[in-house]
Amino acid sequence: MTRTQQVRHSMKPLTAARERGTAAAVNARFARITWVCGTSMLALLIGCEKVAEPLRSRAQTELLSQADALRGQEVINRYGCVACHTIPGVRGPASNVGPPLANMASRAYVAGILPNTPEDMVRWLRDPPAVDPRTAMPNMGLTEKEAKDVAAYLYTLD
Amino acid sequence: MKRTTRIVAITLAASAGAAALAGGLFVYSGVYDVSATEQHTALVYRMLDTTMRRSIKLRTVDVDVPPLDDDERVLRGFRQFRAHCVQCHGAPGIAPEGFALGLTPAPAALVATARERPVAEIYWVISKGIKMSGMPAWRYRMSDQEMWDVVAFMNVLPTLSPVDYAALDRRHAADVPPPAAQAATSATGEERGDIAAGRKAMQQYVCVTCHVIPGVVGASEHVGPSLAGIASRRYIAGVLPNTPDNMLRWLQNPPGVDPLTAMPDLGVSEQDARDMAAYLYTLE
Repeated sequence: MTRTQQVRHSMKPLTAARERGTAAAVNARFARITWVCGTSMLALLIGCEKVAEPLRSRAQTELLSQADALRGQEVINRYGCVACHTIPGVRGPASNVGPPLANMASRAYVAGILPNTPEDMVRWLRDPPAVDPRTAMPNMGLTEKEAKDVAAYLYTLD
Repeated sequence: MKRTTRIVAITLAASAGAAALAGGLFVYSGVYDVSATEQHTALVYRMLDTTMRRSIKLRTVDVDVPPLDDDERVLRGFRQFRAHCVQCHGAPGIAPEGFALGLTPAPAALVATARERPVAEIYWVISKGIKMSGMPAWRYRMSDQEMWDVVAFMNVLPTLSPVDYAALDRRHAADVPPPAAQAATSATGEERGDIAAGRKAMQQYVCVTCHVIPGVVGASEHVGPSLAGIASRRYIAGVLPNTPDNMLRWLQNPPGVDPLTAMPDLGVSEQDARDMAAYLYTLE
């Protein structure tokens, strides 16, 4: 439904009131005008809004330029990451051993210890205990290329 | 009759709709200036001030006031005042620090507060703080006794000339300051965790600025992981098995558990940690 159709649709009962020819028709017309003016002004406001870049926007690097999110999804399947993590877009047992990886793209830290940059994400994915000896996450033996693909997939999770 | 009712109903509905729309436009258009350099209009200021005064009054009808007329207590209160209050409120002859001068609303001159507000109200504001102002709730960082000490000192404050205050300040300049803003208190005084108190503590230890926490308003950032489902999570922070004891340990000192973690030690008291854990374990 387009926006105009939505407005029309919601106006149906009022239109019916007008057709009955009561004094309410005036009010109905008034309400309709108010509604239409209001929505169009709001639409204008939304339309005009320019989104300014944040001070420190998410890191964009060459690192993942060759990486492929779809391949990453396949790697995630193959390594059974879902045995511990719930990952949107990857079917699994809704496991809650490690934290869910939803919003991984917006997360400020990887594992609560590394700034969430592609470099650090890949470093973490390749060998978590090398980064934090206390972590429960094992080294799964991902290759550099696999880690990059997985990172690319995780960065689709806003 | 029926027709009149209908006209009235439709008119009311239309007015309500128009009012809601106007309100929405006011909010969304951004015309309201949130900067601290713009004071409220006189009318809005008066309304907010009255809301605050009435709210405090309503909540302080049955506060038990301990004896305050005790020199030792006044002195202890002065040490707290010096460590935690003077920075924003100033004192006789002493200006607040620069950052506090930029606050809106401006921190009250406590001499005026002491002269005008009832003792129970002063204690209550120290303890609970005031929303949408710079006044924090001290009950999570001071014991009840310490907060009453501050009240006892405020009772003396209006009798001090700037010269008296400066002399007092000099005399106790070398005193060991009270432990800085540390959780000395248990919010509920109960051994077992209190879920509702735990949820409040989520605000008081600023958990909300980094974590998504279901059921806590304003907790929507992804600096740390979302705490949704934390009750069934196997590990805490990926390093500790998720047991209640480990949760207490983690909440009270994250860097002590994992020196690499970005989560700081927020000075959470044992009781507050219990309450917070109780709340977190409701998040299945």
